[in-house]
Amino acid sequence: MVLRRWRGPGLLLLAGAALWMLLAGHGTLLGMDVGVLGSALLVGTAWVALYAVSTTPDGVLDQGIAPGEWQAWVGTVFMCMATLYFVGNLHVFQGASISGAPHARVIVRNLMMLLIAWTVLSRVLASRWRGRVQTDERDRDIEARAAGWGRGALVVCVITLAVTLGLSPADRLEWATHFMIGNLMILALMCGWLVEYAATALLYWRDRR
Amino acid sequence: MTGTPITNEIRRLRFEHGEMTQQALAEACQVTRQTIIALEAGRYAPSLELAFRIARAFGVGVEDVFRWAA
Repeated sequence: MVLRRWRGPGLLLLAGAALWMLLAGHGTLLGMDVGVLGSALLVGTAWVALYAVSTTPDGVLDQGIAPGEWQAWVGTVFMCMATLYFVGNLHVFQGASISGAPHARVIVRNLMMLLIAWTVLSRVLASRWRGRVQTDERDRDIEARAAGWGRGALVVCVITLAVTLGLSPADRLEWATHFMIGNLMILALMCGWLVEYAATALLYWRDRR
Repeated sequence: MTGTPITNEIRRLRFEHGEMTQQALAEACQVTRQTIIALEAGRYAPSLELAFRIARAFGVGVEDVFRWAA
């Protein structure tokens, strides 16, 4: 009973520690890369969360919270982690290409691990509502409104990047290699998705109050 | 989505139909239970199709379930 009560905060604490280790960069702890330890801890936390979800009795998860809202909150947390991690390590992509930025592969691998953990958790969550209606017209309405926010954020990011590149003097754009610009465009996409997920979760939450 | 000019009698009709649960009505109408909760609380205005589905689930006309409040 005590274990069940502290399971949620414990998982959040573990996930927070894992995120901090991921963002810590390329330091070493006990001879191991902190970033790799962080991503391993994050995947481990995701698996424990998965177990917790799979052992939760039927009906507890959907008490007032729609399946779409669960997915939106999970998406927001993972997208937030991925975006923070990407921003925290953006300097790694300053090389002329991926071969000139050896740490870039580690960043991409850690992002892939995040994506896999997210996909697995989403699938397990979805399986909790198998056989039931998971989305309807209200969900689609919320998704459409959130997509508008996501599009808006993407437009703002792309315009900011275009203005920075177009109006800055050439000597101030030494950092803007084609590899870096490519990665900034990926970051713009990630920001758009993050805003879309966050808007979806907030719209559900506001609708419930 | 807070407050719509359309009021409804879903809660009353559920109780008149053998205390039908929100989940049972949701399944009958092919929507989530949270949509039924939002409808009953007057926080969501359904599409015409959903309004017909709900009315059909109770065996009454649309105007017996939904009313224009303004």
